[in-house]
Amino acid sequence: MNWEMSRVVRTITDILIVPMIIFGIYLVLHGHLTPGGGFQGGAVIASSTALLIVSYGTLGKHKKDLSSIEAVGLTLFILIAFFGIGYTMFYNYLAGTGGIFGGTVPAGPNPGYINTGGTVTLMNLMVGIEVSAALSLILWMMSRESGIMEAKDKGSEGMEVKG
Amino acid sequence: MSWDAFFMTMPYLAVVILLSIGLYTVLFKKNLIKIIMGIAIMQNGANLFLVSLAYRDGYYAPIFTSAESTDMVMPTAHALTLTSIVIGLATTALMLSFTIMIKRHYGSINTEDVRRCKE
Amino acid sequence: MTWDTIVTASPTFILGLPLLFAFLTTLVGRFSKRLGKLLFGVGLLLTTFFVGVMSYQVLTDGSWFYVFGAEQPSPENLLSFFRITFVADGFAVLATLTIAITALAAGIYSYSFMKGESGLNKFYTLFLLTLAGVNGMVLTGDLFNLFVWFEVTSVASCALVAFRNYKGKSVEAGLKYMVLSTVGGLFVLFSIGLLYGQYGVLNYALLREGITGTFIDKLALGILVVMFAMKSSSVPMQMWAPDAYGEAPGSVTPFIAITSMGSLFVLFRLLFGVFSVSISPAASGSILIILGVLSMIVGVTMALVQSDLKRLIAYLSVSQIGYMMMAVGVGLATLNTGEYESFGELAMQGGLFHMINDGVYKALLFLSAVAVVHATGIRSLNELGGVAHKMPYTTFFFLLGALSIAGIPPLSGFSSKLLIYKSVYLYSPILVIIALVVSIITLAIIGKAFFNAFLGPNQGLVKNHISKTMLLSMGILTAVLVLFTLFPNVVVTEIVSPAIEGLIGSFEGVLP
Repeated sequence: MNWEMSRVVRTITDILIVPMIIFGIYLVLHGHLTPGGGFQGGAVIASSTALLIVSYGTLGKHKKDLSSIEAVGLTLFILIAFFGIGYTMFYNYLAGTGGIFGGTVPAGPNPGYINTGGTVTLMNLMVGIEVSAALSLILWMMSRESGIMEAKDKGSEGMEVKG
Repeated sequence: MSWDAFFMTMPYLAVVILLSIGLYTVLFKKNLIKIIMGIAIMQNGANLFLVSLAYRDGYYAPIFTSAESTDMVMPTAHALTLTSIVIGLATTALMLSFTIMIKRHYGSINTEDVRRCKE
Repeated sequence: MTWDTIVTASPTFILGLPLLFAFLTTLVGRFSKRLGKLLFGVGLLLTTFFVGVMSYQVLTDGSWFYVFGAEQPSPENLLSFFRITFVADGFAVLATLTIAITALAAGIYSYSFMKGESGLNKFYTLFLLTLAGVNGMVLTGDLFNLFVWFEVTSVASCALVAFRNYKGKSVEAGLKYMVLSTVGGLFVLFSIGLLYGQYGVLNYALLREGITGTFIDKLALGILVVMFAMKSSSVPMQMWAPDAYGEAPGSVTPFIAITSMGSLFVLFRLLFGVFSVSISPAASGSILIILGVLSMIVGVTMALVQSDLKRLIAYLSVSQIGYMMMAVGVGLATLNTGEYESFGELAMQGGLFHMINDGVYKALLFLSAVAVVHATGIRSLNELGGVAHKMPYTTFFFLLGALSIAGIPPLSGFSSKLLIYKSVYLYSPILVIIALVVSIITLAIIGKAFFNAFLGPNQGLVKNHISKTMLLSMGILTAVLVLFTLFPNVVVTEIVSPAIEGLIGSFEGVLP
């Protein structure tokens, strides 16, 4: 039996979740230009998960997906870093090459162009994916274990002694 | 000491107070949740310390859009603070999960009851 | 991309490959458990391979800095020092070799030991993350990065300690370790702030030149020493170690012990590489000696009263940490004086040789003890007995480790302890007397444990089978131990001496 808030709360949640996620994506994508970045944006996205858990009391059956998404984000992050190994690790090989995220940064004060980050933008994106998934997973696990969501019965003590 | 100089020391005073409160909580409280809260308070103290170290009067945040690069502060300490916040999140989450499990196993989160390793 | 580039980048491989494989293991393990297991092994082997590559390069061609995302630093290009720097020198070689040997043995041991546990993918991930964290800690060249890897190691190793979360005690030990590590990490951050606020740099090489030895510097050094001594289970803060070592899954116990050894490596790096120029080495050396002697005495005294096999070895390992701190402390206390030539260097050799030595035989001791516990399901020495009848190989391995930790002549534990005795005697005879007494008590304790657990009539306690991979991992450690026993002079000249050079002369000649 899931724990669920009233219809008013649930409707407001439905409405609010869209701008929350969009704001999170904005923070992630503008990480190299403005305060914010992968972690902050990811945390904002994950807070929408918190809202879902509080109002609906469930996330559905997406726990395994979340874990995989987290691993994908982290793996791609490391791989992007490794691709620069020909020069040095974490080398920004996309910067200034033109094409996507490879724009040249104009000198002097400017409004900031999103196309200029190079690998930084990509890494921010990966961190954003990782953090949003991981934080959602943490919230999901904690609320399940602490009884906000229905807890599955786990093995108890009294197991055999092991080294 | 002028008033300006006095006000510049205020953040450091707050840092000392926060660290002391946190350390006191960690050392003398019996409730695991309170201990974790104490660690969080200490974390904030350390972060405040780094941020107030990096503050320069009259300089701008290092965002490329708003000012000349010579008028910006060096963001190393801010990067440290952000990293510390991220790490703080991970450690707090892990400690809280441990506390949840301890509550399930021992039925208590009082440190007096949570001392079975030595038996 | 040529082979040279890869060799230059080998420090990042040592760090990056465990990270990459940690996440790959989780990802692939979702679809195929066997493949996840395989990737774990591949990651461990590749990491060890790159440790070998880096060691070979450093020992033949000398040390270098590796900067992330920019050119190599040089006197003309100092700006690179404001980036993340890795130091590949003799000391890093010693540290990563010690870590790699133990990690490989513990990893192989885990394969069959952890069979039957749930969530093994997460176990492999945590294991590789801890490996990456410790390697990062000993390889890094600036304080900011040090803090990050310190915390990565803390989080991952605490989660490893509490991996069997169906046991309350594991979780309790994990939480205890976690609270201490987090508080320690916060104070490390605070002292990094103290140093950064004064000098505006975080790089070891630049800090070494910059530090002037003010009161705030001494405060920062004091905090760093206390926190890293705590993480390396030195005495005033040793209470987490027996709990963590005792309650961690058996196969990773030596690995948790090696993370505390990693903290000790970092402590030495900071004391010698950063602070020894401006803050009197004699004073900081004396502090190390005091901490070391206290660890020796307290560790062995607490081990006397233990009846739990794993906790007993944990306390003995605390006392072994004391030997290293004492020997290296003597080296530090005599640094830059005439005494360094006559016996200080010998003490350093003894101390650092003892570190790599201790890493190996402690792992062997832990793993063979865990094999006994695994086979019988009993941890109490009062109930164990006569295991040797059914487990001859394990008995042999345990005996080798026991004789090494007690410093019995033919074994390598004796070689390093002899170096320590010889040199420390010239510094202060009373220290050697204490060390000898501790050594004798260690022999008595480990002898008691051996007789109680292994010898005596066969009581039919052995229920579980010890698999071949477990024996293989102990065999690897034994092979290394035998090598150290046969050629201690080669180890000292080829690995330990470059390490001392790296430790004392590190960062010289890089700055104008």
